[in-house]
Amino acid sequence: MTAVVTNRAGDELDPAEVKAGLVTTAKRRGASVVGIGDPALLDDQPAGMRPHDLLPQTRTMIVLGGAAPRAGEWHSPRAEVLETLGTADRIGVTASAIARQIEDDLGYYALAVPTGTDHGDQPFLRFSDAAVAAGVGSASLAGPALHPDHGFLYLAVILTSLPLEFDAPLATPACPAPECVERYAERGTTPCIEVCDIDDGGCLGGEIVDGLVIGRRYDAERCRDRVYHYWVPGYQKVLEAALDEPDPARRKMILYGSYFTRTMWSITYSNVSQGQCFECVKACPVGGDLRALK
Amino acid sequence: MEEPATEVDTTTDAIKALALRAGAKVAGVAAASAFNEYVPAGHRPTDFLPGCRSVVVMGAQGPSNAAWQSPNRRLMEITGYDFRENVSAMVVADHIETEHGFLAMPAPGLPTSGQHPPMSMMLSAVLAGLGTRSIAANIILNPTHGLLYYAAVLTTMELRPDHQLEDEVCPARSCVLLYEQEGRTPCMAVCPADDGGCIDATIEDGRITSSYFDRERCSTRAMNFGIRGHIKQVELLSNLADRDERRALLRSDDFRRNLASIGRYKESVAQCFECMRVCPVGRYERKLK
Repeated sequence: MTAVVTNRAGDELDPAEVKAGLVTTAKRRGASVVGIGDPALLDDQPAGMRPHDLLPQTRTMIVLGGAAPRAGEWHSPRAEVLETLGTADRIGVTASAIARQIEDDLGYYALAVPTGTDHGDQPFLRFSDAAVAAGVGSASLAGPALHPDHGFLYLAVILTSLPLEFDAPLATPACPAPECVERYAERGTTPCIEVCDIDDGGCLGGEIVDGLVIGRRYDAERCRDRVYHYWVPGYQKVLEAALDEPDPARRKMILYGSYFTRTMWSITYSNVSQGQCFECVKACPVGGDLRALK
Repeated sequence: MEEPATEVDTTTDAIKALALRAGAKVAGVAAASAFNEYVPAGHRPTDFLPGCRSVVVMGAQGPSNAAWQSPNRRLMEITGYDFRENVSAMVVADHIETEHGFLAMPAPGLPTSGQHPPMSMMLSAVLAGLGTRSIAANIILNPTHGLLYYAAVLTTMELRPDHQLEDEVCPARSCVLLYEQEGRTPCMAVCPADDGGCIDATIEDGRITSSYFDRERCSTRAMNFGIRGHIKQVELLSNLADRDERRALLRSDDFRRNLASIGRYKESVAQCFECMRVCPVGRYERKLK
């Protein structure tokens, strides 16, 4: 039975209309996809990272996907374009606005889960797993949750006490795509593995058996080194190099060098530079149709 | 008989409504001249905008109501604060210049020298009738919403000023009763100045007769991430001779957290909300379904 939904004044509302209204608003504000997930599907997450650990009143998880690089950015021959434009900020802002709307208009608790990290650089909640639970994507060999039409998307999650009808997880996973299954059968590799092979200095590995990814291998540390070579990790590294440098002239060169400047830019303008390596997703065929423009 | 609304009344109401539509929870207007009684030259609206006649003040919520409910205190420390009062101020300033042809600009509310802002947003809120000063860290409490964050717009346009609130919001009735019984209010109990905390006050006949706030101590607790935290760590780093110790500090959670909060300032405006958590003002507004 669907729970009763009321507005702030206590008037009963049609839950389906409330859900449709939130989805429409989220899309108007920039979300490409919206899914409503059952928070109980994340009960097997580590303690502290379950929805109820963050908001005890949670009944519903709203997952937004969007703010992916534009088709033009994917097509740019200059790696610097994606290096400096990759950002989750826009979808985070949308989540914050939707959470406010739920609290202000409907009177239910709504928490836009911070996109930053908690202790040990761990997320407050695993957004990819929330996306899978809400049918916004499925796990991929490359790592990010992939939406069948859009492919890679940045994610944001709202936990709320507003009861809404859940969307089911995707019946058919987006990864591996049919062309990847085919390529694996022919050459024993997929586009993402080919571009970043864990057995050849890269980060990804795995097999495809009966159309399913089996035994995925992922070198998280190596990937992090490549994805975040600007921003906070880059700054930590270059500041350490500067402090360790005994020669004042060389130290000055480091501090005034373009790399140090770049890391500072990417911290203060975090919306310009969160990730610098997109190679596995660039090679991924999922969402390719939407990236092929005139 | 009620006086008919003047053009100034109508325009004032329309501008306040715009401020609310742009994201503010509350909006009010203070006369620029009202500041003269309270602040020295150099901190008055006309010092920043010659000819300034009105100050439009907008207040917005910081953390969402859900964030207050989270048992994970670290989430509250970095939860998204969207600066909607600043967005609202920008929208109102643009509107006044483009639609009404008067000069308008967001008031300078961030410190540019020392810890004092050029212009006080707290005083602006009080003069615009949006709240009054509280025992809890001198925070301006709105009678309905409690803690709000404030921004303001200075303009040469004449608007109808609001009256300051007649009744002090703090102490709340329940706090007065508690004070009479136990000699302290909830905020004093949670952060007592005489026991390592920041707040103390006396209340007589339901009014604050004296208050004490240890701002330095509060500052080290409420703002331990961000720019100040990073400055402190850079100082520590420059004094560390041992390479391994430097590396440990550079790779620590705290160092990363400081940088993340510089990059995403909205994530990490304040880290201690305990006096506000126990404050009854605005609690009903924060209680949702």
